[in-house]
Amino acid sequence: MQKKRFSFSKTSFIASMVFLFVPLVVLIVFSFNANKAPVLTGFSLVWYQRLFTSSRSLWNAFFTSITIAVTASITATVIGTLAAIGVHWHKFALKTYVQAITYIPLVLPEIIIGMSLLAFFSGSHFTLGGVSVNVGFRLNLGWLTIFIAHATFCLPFVYLMVLARLDEFDSSIIEAAHDLGATEGQTLLKVIIPISMPGIISGFLTSLTLSLEDFTITYFVSGVSSTLPMAVYGQMYKGGVSPVINALSAIMILGTIVLALLARNFLKYIAANG
Amino acid sequence: MKGATIGILGISKAFGSFAALNDVSLDIRKGEFFSLLGPSGCGKTTLLRIIAGFEQPDEGSVTIDGINVLPLPPNRRHANTVFQNYALFPHLSVFENVAFPLRLKNTKNSIVTAKVNDYLHLVELGDHAAKMPSMLSGGQKQRVAIARALINEPSVLLLDEPLSALDAKLRHHMLMELDAIHDKIGITFIYVTHDQSEALSVSDRIAVMYQGDVLQVGTPHDIYESPATNFVAQFIGETNMFEGTVRASMGQMYVLDVDELGRVVVTDDRIYEVGERVSLTVRPEKLRISPDEPRVNGRSDINVFEGTVDEPIYSGFQSKYYVRLSPTVVFRVFKQHSDYTDEEHDILWKERVHVSWSAKDGYIVEGHRN
Amino acid sequence: MKKPRLHRERNYGTIYALPIALWFTVFFLVPLLVIIVFSFLKADVDGGVMPLVSLDAYRNLLRPRIFRIFFNTIWVSVVSTLITILMALPCAYFMAKSKAKTFLLILVIIPFWTNFIIRVFAWKTILESNGVINSLLIGFGAIANPLPLEHNWIAVIIINVYTYLTYAILPLFSTIEKFDFTLLEAARDLGASKIQSIVRVLLPNVKAGIVTAIFFTFIPLLGSFVVQQLIGTKDMYMLGNEINDNIYKYFDWPTAYAIAVVLMLLANVGLLFVMKNDRKQAKAASARRVDDVDDGPRAPRQAISVAGGR
Repeated sequence: MQKKRFSFSKTSFIASMVFLFVPLVVLIVFSFNANKAPVLTGFSLVWYQRLFTSSRSLWNAFFTSITIAVTASITATVIGTLAAIGVHWHKFALKTYVQAITYIPLVLPEIIIGMSLLAFFSGSHFTLGGVSVNVGFRLNLGWLTIFIAHATFCLPFVYLMVLARLDEFDSSIIEAAHDLGATEGQTLLKVIIPISMPGIISGFLTSLTLSLEDFTITYFVSGVSSTLPMAVYGQMYKGGVSPVINALSAIMILGTIVLALLARNFLKYIAANG
Repeated sequence: MKGATIGILGISKAFGSFAALNDVSLDIRKGEFFSLLGPSGCGKTTLLRIIAGFEQPDEGSVTIDGINVLPLPPNRRHANTVFQNYALFPHLSVFENVAFPLRLKNTKNSIVTAKVNDYLHLVELGDHAAKMPSMLSGGQKQRVAIARALINEPSVLLLDEPLSALDAKLRHHMLMELDAIHDKIGITFIYVTHDQSEALSVSDRIAVMYQGDVLQVGTPHDIYESPATNFVAQFIGETNMFEGTVRASMGQMYVLDVDELGRVVVTDDRIYEVGERVSLTVRPEKLRISPDEPRVNGRSDINVFEGTVDEPIYSGFQSKYYVRLSPTVVFRVFKQHSDYTDEEHDILWKERVHVSWSAKDGYIVEGHRN
Repeated sequence: MKKPRLHRERNYGTIYALPIALWFTVFFLVPLLVIIVFSFLKADVDGGVMPLVSLDAYRNLLRPRIFRIFFNTIWVSVVSTLITILMALPCAYFMAKSKAKTFLLILVIIPFWTNFIIRVFAWKTILESNGVINSLLIGFGAIANPLPLEHNWIAVIIINVYTYLTYAILPLFSTIEKFDFTLLEAARDLGASKIQSIVRVLLPNVKAGIVTAIFFTFIPLLGSFVVQQLIGTKDMYMLGNEINDNIYKYFDWPTAYAIAVVLMLLANVGLLFVMKNDRKQAKAASARRVDDVDDGPRAPRQAISVAGGR
């Protein structure tokens, strides 16, 4: 047998994975700690007990985050998919505009998207002859504004992922559908959407991930409404984070791992059939 | 009688400044296997796409069975297309791909099953109905595409270089099968190809296209034996081409003074003036090659020239020779191998040989367009 | 000849693209224009502006304190990006060559599914004076007093790298995956060492992925503020913190907008710098592959296809 040779890339990968997962492990370990301070003192389920008995506001914040992630991702997926289909197969006046405007958010620091939406939603105002004039939408910061912001920054990703999938097909597949008697609506539902599915699904999952991960943009547009990241930020800012957060995070981490493995099998199935 | 007549009248189409088709007119007969043949960029695919309805002409009209189809979208023309890359729907099984047109019309399930199976049997894919397109070979994908295009019972089947993605052996086999399917269902086939041997072997008639023009329409025999232009002669099969001047005529026999070659006799049923510049073409397989001077027996309609074998190329069933007559004149000669050849020995490199052909095997090509 | 009567072709492209065009105009372009225009107006109380053209906001930036912040922003972003890319490259290479690609990809994405702020909190737990590392070291008797692991540049950069490592790995992975590894064998065959073959053959061919990885890391870093605020100190504040303070502390929104404009310029200067080099390379390679010579969107577009269909 040949002696196993040292592999730089493998060692780097393992080291990086340790780096990526250590904080998650710490979160989980401390969720079972008997003490509040970051010193391990003993095993306890007290934080889980509190999470399930007296953390209504935390759960509300959690479900707000989930709801926003799901609705914003669905919105971004529908709008982004349609845009990709239009841009890939058609020539039209708005095409260059769409291509440019979906690209710009990717090359802007996210803080700018957050603060510009804040300026827009708070109805940036100026006084003209004693009268206050508003520019933008005056929307109360909250659920709706977070939803809009999340859908906005997820949109380019869905659009580009579906477009990447459609790049595998030239116009003949659409022409074949029309040639065989399909109307535009039938072509969309029976051919275009099914063949785009792998791109649509990865776009949707990416949107979910980005939405759940985002803090910066949410921070600017959330106002007083509480989402999970804002709740954690508030506690950190004040200096003391309750280990109940650890318990909730631990549940979320294990939940996402289970979901990810399910998704993996699902995506494998898609890949085999796409 | 199934199939449709297709009338193409004065079709022109430009893409920007590029003229893809210049005032093209064709009449395609009912049930005909009609090929559009030409090199890439000649406009053949554009013409097919105009008939299918994927492109709009700038001028002209297209009729199917006398009805103007230009105002109709592709899904309302009785013409279906077999695409070059097959364009199978990757998310549907073979069965569902073929069933697609029927599903769109909400056809009853029992009818769909019966009909799809019929067509899958027609293309010999009865056993593969449940497979996904990604599991099929190129030839099988092609068959699915054909079955799918036929299931709507179109009166015209449009085939856009359907065999170009297949390897040589499979291509020949599929071609024979296409021919058989054509004979069986009897509808009009319009077949686009850049491969002259494909077109020659299955077509009833061929239109040779070049740079947006139709140069010649005719049976494979017409096109091969009596090419209308230099381009057609050179594009269809291999040929030897010379320029010369008409020196004398005796009925259908002409004596030419061919540049760098000298006196050549040729028969042609068209009329040429003495002194007219013409092109002469002789197919390589019409040339005889022999080490000794052929016995002409006083016949004046045999042309004989002497040269040196530059390069013999053996390719199994035949040999190719490049015979050099002068520094600038080289003849291409094909010789079939058979037990009946009376040659005593193989012709070798650098050997002095005689190349000869009879007057009826040469052909005068009109016009010097190319 | 008369124009023939043709079948009507409705332009579905516009119909498909109209929602995104409207959405981005209203929720992206207009807000962006608002902050750009308002950065040139005079500040009013409580975040408003007066309809007076003024360069006050920009004048506010010409202060030594802001220069220091500007400098912090650049060097922290550059150093964090460099370390991130250097870590991400071998990871992506390993993943691309692995047989369990999907699994490794999920492994890399999992930490991403926990909100950024919760992961910052986890790092705080690790680095605090009575945090995990110090407790362990004291427990083993290696040190007597806790080390000051928090509130320094290293802590900030570690968390930056941690945050953007996945962002960098994904585009690198998707380009390296498409790389033809027989080219490396060819290079080795022609006498290159392993390192030479990687530097001279692999890296030039996965340039699009590297550029995208830099975009995804450097640009958001330019606007970061949370890590400095929670793990760093006031001395480590970057332009993002200055925006945050001008909005929520000083209520001087035009100044925040002016910083945002500076940030946009900064992001695009970096971008142009990277893309110009990229374009030059692409032009040189255009004889090989025509589709390489394309405008900007190609690189991220290629790399964003990462998880596509996987």
